[in-house]
Amino acid sequence: MVSESTSSLLDLYRTKLKSYDEVLTPDGTLKPHWQKLFVALEKIGNEELENRSQEIKNKIRENGVTYNIYQRPGGLNSPWKLDLIPFLIEQQEWRIISKGLQQRATLLDLILRDMYGERKMIKDRILPPELVYNNTGFFRACHDVKQPTQNQLIMYAADMARGPDGRMWVVDNRTQAPSGSGYALENRVIISKIMPELAKDMYVSRLSPFFTQAQQSIFKVFREKSDFLNVVYLTPGPNNETYFEQAYLASYLGYTLVQGDDLIVKNGFVWVKAIDGLQRVDIIIRRVDDEWCDPLELRIDSKLGVPGLLQVIRNGNVLVINPPGTSAVENSAFSAFLPSLCRYFLGEELMLPSVATWWCGQPKELQNTLDNLGNLIIKKANRKQVFRSVYGKQLSARQLQDLRAQILQNPTEYVAQEEVSFSTTPAFVDGNIEPRYAAIRAFLTATPTGYQVMDGGLTRSSVQKDKFSFSNQYGSVSKDTWIISDEAEIIRERIQLPATAYQQPHSSLPSRSAENLYWAARYSERSMSATTFLMITLNALNFQRNFGIQTKTQHIEILLKTVSSLIQVEPHFSDEKKEYFKNPYPIIAETISSDTQSGSITSSIQSFLRAMISVRERWNNVTWRTIDVLEHINQKLQQISPNQNPNDIQNTLNDLQSNLFTFYGIVNESIPRNHGYYLFETGKLIERILSKITILRSIFSIKTEPFIENELMEIVLMNHFALSHYRSTYKTNFEKEYVLDMILLDRQIPSSLSYLLDSLDHSISQLPQASERLSKARKAILEAVTCIKLIDVADIATVEPSTQVYEKLSIVLSHVYDLILLVSDYTTNQYFNHTATQHSITETIVDLENDL
Amino acid sequence: MTYRLLHKTQYDYSENVNNYHGLACVMPQNTSRQIRSDFSLTIYPVPDEIYTRKDYFDNTVHYFSIHKPHNKLVILAKSTLETHPSLHPDSPMTNKAVREKLRTDPLLKDALLDYMLPSQFVQWDDEIRRFSLDCFDDHEPFYDSARLLCHKIFKQFTYVPGFTTIHTPLKTVLREKKGVCQDFSHLAIACLRSMGFAARYVSGYLETQPLPGKEKLQGSDATHAWVSVYVPKVGWCDFDPTNDLVPQEQHITTAWGRDFGDVSPLKGIIFSTGKHTFRVEVDVIPI
Repeated sequence: MVSESTSSLLDLYRTKLKSYDEVLTPDGTLKPHWQKLFVALEKIGNEELENRSQEIKNKIRENGVTYNIYQRPGGLNSPWKLDLIPFLIEQQEWRIISKGLQQRATLLDLILRDMYGERKMIKDRILPPELVYNNTGFFRACHDVKQPTQNQLIMYAADMARGPDGRMWVVDNRTQAPSGSGYALENRVIISKIMPELAKDMYVSRLSPFFTQAQQSIFKVFREKSDFLNVVYLTPGPNNETYFEQAYLASYLGYTLVQGDDLIVKNGFVWVKAIDGLQRVDIIIRRVDDEWCDPLELRIDSKLGVPGLLQVIRNGNVLVINPPGTSAVENSAFSAFLPSLCRYFLGEELMLPSVATWWCGQPKELQNTLDNLGNLIIKKANRKQVFRSVYGKQLSARQLQDLRAQILQNPTEYVAQEEVSFSTTPAFVDGNIEPRYAAIRAFLTATPTGYQVMDGGLTRSSVQKDKFSFSNQYGSVSKDTWIISDEAEIIRERIQLPATAYQQPHSSLPSRSAENLYWAARYSERSMSATTFLMITLNALNFQRNFGIQTKTQHIEILLKTVSSLIQVEPHFSDEKKEYFKNPYPIIAETISSDTQSGSITSSIQSFLRAMISVRERWNNVTWRTIDVLEHINQKLQQISPNQNPNDIQNTLNDLQSNLFTFYGIVNESIPRNHGYYLFETGKLIERILSKITILRSIFSIKTEPFIENELMEIVLMNHFALSHYRSTYKTNFEKEYVLDMILLDRQIPSSLSYLLDSLDHSISQLPQASERLSKARKAILEAVTCIKLIDVADIATVEPSTQVYEKLSIVLSHVYDLILLVSDYTTNQYFNHTATQHSITETIVDLENDL
Repeated sequence: MTYRLLHKTQYDYSENVNNYHGLACVMPQNTSRQIRSDFSLTIYPVPDEIYTRKDYFDNTVHYFSIHKPHNKLVILAKSTLETHPSLHPDSPMTNKAVREKLRTDPLLKDALLDYMLPSQFVQWDDEIRRFSLDCFDDHEPFYDSARLLCHKIFKQFTYVPGFTTIHTPLKTVLREKKGVCQDFSHLAIACLRSMGFAARYVSGYLETQPLPGKEKLQGSDATHAWVSVYVPKVGWCDFDPTNDLVPQEQHITTAWGRDFGDVSPLKGIIFSTGKHTFRVEVDVIPI
């Protein structure tokens, strides 16, 4: 328990230390900045720390910070984990580490350039040839892919941990598409919001200059004369493990987030397929792995890349960061040769040591490995191969024997590493401050004046005590990483940015994003219409149960049938199955919660959420807060059972409706009026018009007795949010003519058909048009608007005498309905990208019987 | 011999294709056995772009793209070549000596390792190793042993078109003892590499002779594949395991690589919903 003495937290923590810890110097004295941090933690108090820890979790959920874990049900969109205690490194030490990191980046870049060039390091016998030719990251198609920048390795990340000598050791190199810098940025945002007092008396270096200055300075090397550079961020898609971060960074930096099939190679350049045509791309920051970048020349079955990309790079018409082929130096065996390669290329000693590594392709090293197998970690040299590191000391004698045989089978494929004990660092675990192993990922970027290190990083600590394992796939916890000093940061020399904008005046909306925005709107409105009408129906049902006249139930039957024509789920209400009307709740529950039928409310919400996530970068934080709430409501919807209390159902639907309204409010109040917005509006309006018409046609299909008609008219007015407006306007009973006039023609009612159709026309008119003439979609709307506006309500309110059917109304409504369906077709055809499936064709050899 | 060479590939698509990216590896190499005096590549529809480059293996490849709707693609490569018979190299180097040389000479290893390691279509196991073992007695000359291996494959295997595809594993080929030139070449390469030697895949053409008394049919020649092995101090020496012979004037070399994957005559990426059919016609005309 925490006592009140000022250093008790720290004292308690020190009793838990089993190995050397970040808070202590090698000689056992306390590092002053950690002391300050503990004082601050003490001041907050354990109980409040618990609260803050929960707040961090909430914030992460609200902001939608996720990490996708593969191969686990529910592993998609797992919440990101962030510890409230940051990882601290003193600025002077960080400068030394940074020098070592810069040296490494420089070295790895030289190795890459030599590997895809003369391969002198092999000819001079510094590097065994296997490390290049038997390297799954060495792509022969990239041998003549050279970018105009001096460095081929532009972004680089290194995983480090503090070794027994107190120095930072590098445990892993990330060279193709390093992830994590976006999470580091988001960690900082959250910690500075929730733990503001922690940084008391300390100065923490800022992260943003790394992104806004350093990273962009490399761009000017490419096409210096251009007025603007179009930068895209290439993602493998929403199912990738770090998709959140990709969307987050794209949005933070203002780059267009694209997937492979948003891009096309044509006339020697790369283009984005946007809703207003093709837009040239100058720079691609890629998060797609090397071999998936170009199906034509690399992995032929890749659907994540861009066919022809390598040729565009060769022609010098696009800059790809990092260029394909850079994963080669991620191969673990390189660690064994870096010291000699460093002397060879740079004539200096490697500053940051790697964990001692032996490549088993050499006889002496192989023997050493076999002799000490029980104390080593065995890895595959090529990272691509699925093989988890094996800890020798955890193996039985039998297993060791098997491993030995396995290595001997093909020694060149294995590396052995010394098992080093790294330092622990304070972590907040289950209400206590506990020592945990930690590794820090540092980020570097090439600039015209050399490599720059981000003043911060992504620290991950192990979940389990005494275990040095950090893969997010196995649930490690991240930490904000502070580079701290006692005095305010000296403003560093600013990197001169060219006086040009990096973005086009209007940013491109890729067709795929457009399509997702459109469908997000359609599904949200589909859920909204269904929810609203279902709520009204449930109200009527309750009223009928408790106060109604038992002989007059025809309107209830009509309402239930309308529910079924609006929400197409089986079983459905119909005159053939009269028994369903007696206890309608089980079917109502099904229309809400069925996750196997695509019409149900929950499946519409799910489709809505999926579409939202696919265009994550286009929504602000406020939106995500509501999306998070909607996700929770959706879980409740799924749990609704056939014998659920109707009140529960009502409450959940209420909640859903309010939050959908909140979502619309946010869209309306905060989303820029760009093409994306108007596509969203178009989708919403199309869906709204279709559902209003569906309801009207079903309710007013046949004339009923006055009492029932009255009930139905009231419901229709409620469904258009026009009941009180009607009452204050007419101050009379419901008259069919007046009601129809209001819901079809009243310009004051935002869900009257004529209002909706005018709005739809406005939205579509704001989208890029092929010519000055009316588009097919707008022609169809014009016809629909005209049809509605020419209605003579007195005439249309009459029924066919022989059948008592509202035939005139039905004809007009179904015509308008068909026209709006056409509008939907025209819109999707014009703006969305209906890419046919990509196929690769390789001519297989044909040879005929040779008669030689 | 002097040959006029025509290699025509035609694709027919059931649906229009709007965008096509292709990579053609059809220009014959210049080697000690052949000199190319003329080459042209005609593509219909006319490509929007076409770039020529040397690939990693020193073969000439043409990248091209077509961005207009088309339902038919024709690629016609024409060359004129002069070929010469190959000389029997006088290399007494034994299998043991060659193996040792490749293992220890760093420059040689750097140049040849690509052709000594497993590759996409050339993987081996103990079975393949056992199959090759008796051809490579330590004290026999390497050149003769390689020749013997090709003879063994020719004797034991039956040429059956259509039995295998490019994805049939060598294991199956070895077990069934059936296949086409591509399989036999891959198998021979796997055997050679499993014994510690350097071997590469050669793609090219073979002039065929009409049946006695018949006239030669147009388009009846074929693309063909064989192997090349590295003999220290001599260089690359070709063997044709499909026909059990050392390639002479009738064999025309287009390209070489680790296996078929590196030298596929035409690779393409299309965006289409429909099906496609293709036809290849090859004419090797002596002039």
